[in-house]
Amino acid sequence: MIAPGWQPTAAQVRAGSSGAILAIVGALVRRPDAVVLAVPLLVIACWGALRRPRSEPVVSEAIDHATVREGEATTWRIEVNRGTAAQEPVGSHRDRNHDAGHDAGRDAGRDVGRDDDGGIDSVGAVLWAPPYAELDPPWGEMVATMTAGASGGRETARFAVGLRSTRWGRRFVGPARVVASSPWAAFRWTSGSTSSRLVTTVPLPAVFDAAAPATHAVGLVGLDRSVRPGDGSEFAGIRAFQAGDRLRRIHWSRSLRTGSLHVTSTWADHDRHVVLVVDAFNDVGDSDGIDGRASSLDTTVRAAGALAEHHLRRGDRVALVVLGARGPMRVPAASGSRHLRRVLDVLASIEPATALRDDVHLRLGLTGGSLVMMLSPLVSEVPLQRAISLAGRGIAVVVVDTLPEGVTDDDADDPFRALAWRIRLLERARELRAVRSAGVPVVEWRGPGSLDHVLRDLARRRSTPRVTRR
Amino acid sequence: MNRRRTITVGGASRDGLTSLGVSATLRRLSMHQWLLRVLVVVGPLLTLGATMAARGAFQPIALVVIGSMAVGCALAPDSHLGLLVVLLASLNWLQTVNDETTPWLLLAAGGLLVLHTSMAAATVAPPAASWPHDLVYRWARRAGVVMVATVAAWLAALGVTGLSPEGHALVLIIAMLSVAGLIWWARSRSLG
Repeated sequence: MIAPGWQPTAAQVRAGSSGAILAIVGALVRRPDAVVLAVPLLVIACWGALRRPRSEPVVSEAIDHATVREGEATTWRIEVNRGTAAQEPVGSHRDRNHDAGHDAGRDAGRDVGRDDDGGIDSVGAVLWAPPYAELDPPWGEMVATMTAGASGGRETARFAVGLRSTRWGRRFVGPARVVASSPWAAFRWTSGSTSSRLVTTVPLPAVFDAAAPATHAVGLVGLDRSVRPGDGSEFAGIRAFQAGDRLRRIHWSRSLRTGSLHVTSTWADHDRHVVLVVDAFNDVGDSDGIDGRASSLDTTVRAAGALAEHHLRRGDRVALVVLGARGPMRVPAASGSRHLRRVLDVLASIEPATALRDDVHLRLGLTGGSLVMMLSPLVSEVPLQRAISLAGRGIAVVVVDTLPEGVTDDDADDPFRALAWRIRLLERARELRAVRSAGVPVVEWRGPGSLDHVLRDLARRRSTPRVTRR
Repeated sequence: MNRRRTITVGGASRDGLTSLGVSATLRRLSMHQWLLRVLVVVGPLLTLGATMAARGAFQPIALVVIGSMAVGCALAPDSHLGLLVVLLASLNWLQTVNDETTPWLLLAAGGLLVLHTSMAAATVAPPAASWPHDLVYRWARRAGVVMVATVAAWLAALGVTGLSPEGHALVLIIAMLSVAGLIWWARSRSLG
């Protein structure tokens, strides 16, 4: 239990005790040299005692962004103000994110009280970082002196710790610990109750593009346009250029007239219903964050984000189902850029292998025109069984293999690991043959163009007669 | 998920939680902290060197004992090991050196000042933190002021020793009362 308030340090005990002992010995045995040896220690002990702080610092913390993308950084800010002897409660600690609205009133109230005698000499701060976070400065450790504001007001120490999140997920950052010291480090104050902050890191979608035609062929293509704008042939209007617009859509005559880029917008030809099924039963391989190796779940999540972004930008409706993770792991079908944010939020909250029972029923209004994209490292049999059962209902299913490369390599520390993987891969190959024989294509995730081939095959297959189980 | 990491200031646990460990602390030391840890070792060696110079004899056992304890102080500056080192180095001086006002005394007292100051300074910042210039200047200035006071005390001792070779009971009582009063005041200010 950390004692609240200022506490004398080992340095103060050392200076006071050794100085006193040497001075007494010097006086008793008539050794002036002992007194001379005692003088620096006694001076320091008295100096430290004279400058004893009479009030406790007030710490406030804030984080700039609670949600960031992989690879992006935010800042944890700590501000330490000198308290007043009369008004501040013991161990004052404020959360600026929560108390911002009350700051002005509190500060005004504090100014009425008498300032301390300047006992806070320096302030050190340490921020606890979760995994997959890079701190600036390294280790999140800093020290600063109390400095007066521009108007010569209350002295303050400010810290800013840069925090770069390198992997998707929800993680707690903090707590930050603040340690204030008086002159000569004679007394020390440690912040008591600091709180952690939940920072959500949404996945950075992988690069993806597909040139294959839509697999959707049931009914409406060419007869009705979608009510949503998107990639299509039906003219909707001319609007200002936005990031992500295709260059071939630029309306040059309007752009030249107005001096800024304009594009021709179209209505989506159809609103395809895409269901992304993410297998979170396993997370295979090591993850070094966005700058290093990717585990199977990293690849899966980033690929799902890329597919969602691609289809939503085209005006399609996208749904998401996560298998093998607990919590609200389902996003109903919708479209639009806000929906992409919802999908990414759910992807960020995946905790792998937390719900091992396969009790998720894919009741998402799937019709024959839906396209199901199942992203999985194919280590568990459950997703494959799902794919087969969906294909049996006449739904277009594509299985995307996200097993990372190198995960089956020999491991010097564990010679049986590679052997076990070889056995598992043989079983996996048999299961994949069964899936392919059921008419479900399996394709490795390789970024842009990964799905072109299978999507073309699916579109072609749509035009042929087939038997489905209803 | 809400795990708590031990916060060590100066490399030693000070809040009752688990320490980072010596190797972990050493790995993350900033340049300023390295300099301070070196000074922690240099300080008592200065006092010991002054003692040996004043006596004119080498003290290998004292060198090993005080040197190893000084290294311990450098690794754990927030510990009470420093008190033991100060007392041992001072006792060694008092037992070895007979010239009570030799100029080497200033070097010995300076060594104790360096030891205490660097140990205290090492505890105000986390191990990996870089010191701002104003903090470095502030500590150096304070140490200089204390050294000036030490020189003044040495000059006073030089004068007093020359004036009164014989002892005086009244002076002793006044001195003891002054020391006791000073200790009482410092203790009440520190713990009150």
